Amino acid sequence: MNAPHHSRRDFLKTASAATLGALAAGFPRQLRADDTTEKIQPRADTLIVLWMAGGMAQTETFDPKRHTPFEKGMKSADMVSTFPSVSTAVDGMSFSEGLERIGQVMDRGTLIRSYTAGDLGFILHSRHQFHWHTGYAPPQTVACPHLGSVIARTLGPLNPAVPAFINIGQRFDVNEGEELKAFTTAGFLGSEYGPFNIPFPEQAANTVRPPGGMTPGRFENRDKFYRKLLAASPVGQHGSDYQKDSLLRSLDNAHRLLSSPAAKAFDLELEPLANIQKYVPGYKPGTRYDAPQDRFGARYEEQMIGRFGLGCLLARRLAEVGARYIEVSTEYIPFLNWDTHENGHTRATSMKQTIDAPIAQLVLDLEERGLLRRTLVVLASEFSRDSLVEGRPDKLVKDQVTVPDTIEDLKNYGMHRHFTDAGCVLLFGGGIKRGHLHGVTADERPCRTLQDRVVIEDLHATLYTALGISPKLSYEIEQRPFYVTRDGLGKPIGSLFA
Amino acid sequence: MKFRPLMVSVLALLAVGGFAPAKLTPEQVKSLPPPAARRVDFAKDIKPIFEASCVKCHARGKAKGGFNLTSRATMLQPSDSGPAVVSGKSAESHLIELVSGLNPDDVMPQKGSRLTAGQVGLLRAWIDQGARWPAAISFVKPPPANLTPRRPDLPPAKRDVTHAVDRLLARYFKEHKITSPVLVDDRLFARRASLDLIGLLPSPAELEEFLQDRRPDKREALVAKLLADDRHYAEHWLTFWNDLLRNDYRGTGYIDEGRKPISRWLYSALATNMPFDCFVAELINPSTTNAEGFVKGIVWRGAINASQTPPMQAAQNISQVFLGVNVKCASCHDSFINDWTLADAYGLAAVYATNELELFRCDKPTGETAAARFLYPEVGAIDPAAPRAERMKQLARVMTSPKNGRLPRTIVNRLWARLLGRGLVEPLDDMERPAWHSDLLDWLAEDFVAHGHDLRHTLRLIATSRAYQLPAVNLGELAPTNFVFRGPAVRRLSAEQFRDALGTLTGVWFSKAQLPVATNEIRSSLVAADPLAVALGRPNREQVTTSRPSVATTLQALELTNGDTLSRLLARGAEKLLGPNPPPGAALVDRVFGQALGRPPTSGEQQLALALLGQPLQKEGVEDLLWAVTMLPEFQLIR
Repeated sequence: MNAPHHSRRDFLKTASAATLGALAAGFPRQLRADDTTEKIQPRADTLIVLWMAGGMAQTETFDPKRHTPFEKGMKSADMVSTFPSVSTAVDGMSFSEGLERIGQVMDRGTLIRSYTAGDLGFILHSRHQFHWHTGYAPPQTVACPHLGSVIARTLGPLNPAVPAFINIGQRFDVNEGEELKAFTTAGFLGSEYGPFNIPFPEQAANTVRPPGGMTPGRFENRDKFYRKLLAASPVGQHGSDYQKDSLLRSLDNAHRLLSSPAAKAFDLELEPLANIQKYVPGYKPGTRYDAPQDRFGARYEEQMIGRFGLGCLLARRLAEVGARYIEVSTEYIPFLNWDTHENGHTRATSMKQTIDAPIAQLVLDLEERGLLRRTLVVLASEFSRDSLVEGRPDKLVKDQVTVPDTIEDLKNYGMHRHFTDAGCVLLFGGGIKRGHLHGVTADERPCRTLQDRVVIEDLHATLYTALGISPKLSYEIEQRPFYVTRDGLGKPIGSLFA
Repeated sequence: MKFRPLMVSVLALLAVGGFAPAKLTPEQVKSLPPPAARRVDFAKDIKPIFEASCVKCHARGKAKGGFNLTSRATMLQPSDSGPAVVSGKSAESHLIELVSGLNPDDVMPQKGSRLTAGQVGLLRAWIDQGARWPAAISFVKPPPANLTPRRPDLPPAKRDVTHAVDRLLARYFKEHKITSPVLVDDRLFARRASLDLIGLLPSPAELEEFLQDRRPDKREALVAKLLADDRHYAEHWLTFWNDLLRNDYRGTGYIDEGRKPISRWLYSALATNMPFDCFVAELINPSTTNAEGFVKGIVWRGAINASQTPPMQAAQNISQVFLGVNVKCASCHDSFINDWTLADAYGLAAVYATNELELFRCDKPTGETAAARFLYPEVGAIDPAAPRAERMKQLARVMTSPKNGRLPRTIVNRLWARLLGRGLVEPLDDMERPAWHSDLLDWLAEDFVAHGHDLRHTLRLIATSRAYQLPAVNLGELAPTNFVFRGPAVRRLSAEQFRDALGTLTGVWFSKAQLPVATNEIRSSLVAADPLAVALGRPNREQVTTSRPSVATTLQALELTNGDTLSRLLARGAEKLLGPNPPPGAALVDRVFGQALGRPPTSGEQQLALALLGQPLQKEGVEDLLWAVTMLPEFQLIR
């Protein structure tokens, strides 16, 4: 159990609130877990998802193929990988140039190259992201819960003073923000299990500090005043009722969370500068990474690197104090970040620079602290990319990018179409095999999956199984069972476990 | 989404799939429980077994595996796997083989406990004795509940029991030994009625005027005055309808024009108190493009599951919202939880289909074509051959026909639940369940129709009853199955009521409405959801929401305790309250209590508040006072 700040009193208080929430998460929608499913011994207590938002091209990252360097007049159809390959710590496993540091920690993890995204027709990123995060494709007749909410609801918080589901690095006032909101939710499980959103990790401390400008002294004073007022109230002070108890308990929980020692984990300024710089090279204290993202902004790369790096560092700090589910996103903004509709080569360079150091450092730090054994770290993306195929080679969907037959300009060099037939997933720790490779893809484009195909139901089943949750678990909603993997059919990939 | 029952074995499904069973071997026959050695009586011995274990799937309109146990005649017809019962020969009756559990992979009943050897023995003896079954007994499908209009007689008025609702409830209270407690006082009544009918706290001046009013019918007058306030009524009920009709200023689908707002139409329909039958007809069969968003649904880019096409969404939402019927399961396969079949759901969806609509079972084509029809054909017909526009017109006509007693019952039940905290029928979306007081439900529904489908009339009726004026009772979210009505439930302010109450308290409203409204007091129903509204339970309206959870969660409390939205609002509110010439501390405390809680502070509260504020008054102190008062259960709950 890695919850060092876990006290019995805390647990009792929050457990009662959680139970209340569970009982009540939607009258008249009586929520009940089906507890007849198999008991699974958990291998991990915490899940960290590193979300490569926007569709990470597999041949430019963790599944490099033949290098086809840029030449004016080259054929788009001949373009396979736009980077040379580099070796990793694992024999026979190469990565694309720019991912050397992650390559050096691959002896601690597993690489899946055969992840196959759903066939959802004309592609919308947020719809595939909904599918990845809930296991269901929208629209749906019930509000589907996010993976993190299912875990929060099923396992509860690891440390009651830390929100069970923490979501880092995604803001929602972007295009497609409404679609992102539709799955970044506990859905019918009830908002007790919803995400604690931290769009800007350098400001994480604010989310657990008194509101803007309020000193700790004033915050405590306000709370004391409130309690006195409550005690002095002539109305409803005798006896208790459900609504009042629920309200007071929630305020107690919030206050306790804000004043808990674990709240320090949110404050990145408490991390030694040298450590921060391992995640964000050249980091200067007090730097903010919340500039409105503009495709042509001069500081764009610095912002990306700083934001994702600090996100990974925050994930480590939160894992240390007992967060249950943490997601760190490179952030989805249409046509930005991994969503490379043009300049794919150049953009892949900067995205790799964004993720390489912090992800490797996160794995090393967790290992050094003895946490990697019980923490499962997963890197994934909603689908991958190809230079020509939109969708799957045998099931093409409507194109969204014009790709010239011959490439004259560097902006056309790269993987600009959405490819669903093969993609990469990394897994570290949490009882997963070390130095392992799963799945085989074609050497020539379209680099489709040839062997050991992995679909979302089975990937989820693997993650749930690692956490001790049955893939057949269901919750009752409107008198129907809702399964945590679609129809309860997800099968864990047994060969991935050590 | 496909929902499978908790315990379906694939083998069990195969077993009913149409293979004639092999004859039992002599050894197998020997292993069957022996027939009872006495005369068996159908009514006494057999009917209870059928009722407990068989009729759920094989009678009352269902015949799984082709086996129909409605009557003796239907029982003797061959099922998909051949004859189930051979009269006089129990050992040759497939039914006996199945209920005996000879083949562990093929046992009836599939769900629930198996039959005992004694029960099998009774069935065997009954078959051996000729399977006698009195013609008077049968398991026919009962007529749909809460469908036929019915106007019960009003019990006579007595002394203070003169209001129709109370006359209907009088016997109920007597039977449940509930002696009529005193009604809530004027302050509480004014707060409750104002929040319930227009979503706003009464201002201290309005409250004072009401308290001073000496007319005996002043509560009726207050209710009438609130309901006559078209703008505030519309702005409050907009939230209720937006939840039901999945309407919002922002949301999924808009990026691809896969969705259309109906806000302007809705606001105007509410402000002008459009009769509900016209309202429903307009939503089902829009005469202008302003109202078409509801049946258009939400269309995401890409390939859609057959159970989520726009016509199917329309079928699901129309059924749920206006009829209290769930066809979500049945839009993928015959429902496991109610009697609705795939054909029923597709029949309603076919009204909206632009082309011929093929039935898909669990997203696989069946080759069958759906014929447009209403869920309750007894109410009225839709011509499947008619063009789409005509079918929609017919659906609107059938839905609002006087023969459809479900429509008014469903809406009056929702209104009752909104004001009293719990419906006469629960869940609100399962109107086939019995009401805890069917006379009251039926009478309210017919009265609503008789008054021209006037929503405000029914609201007035409920809000002026003694039942509504009873002290609030503590009711958890999980109401007990043996619910007894004792008064309105304690409820929590909705996200919108909470924000609007802060508006009244501080004078800080939103700056820009999404609709053209002639006011500067922009309420939360007129703007897109902010983080505070989301935390307090404003749904994202991807799905129809008919009741919001009212439990307070930790994430909500965090938003209230340190969220930016509220703290900025309180800061601006404090500035406004202080103004250029700050009032004396005591006056400010009086004002905050009076406005927020509808009462002056006690001397103890006054002292505490003044100590917090200090001298001279500081903005921070006022912010903290506002925060603490608005976190009080007395503020956040409707009692």
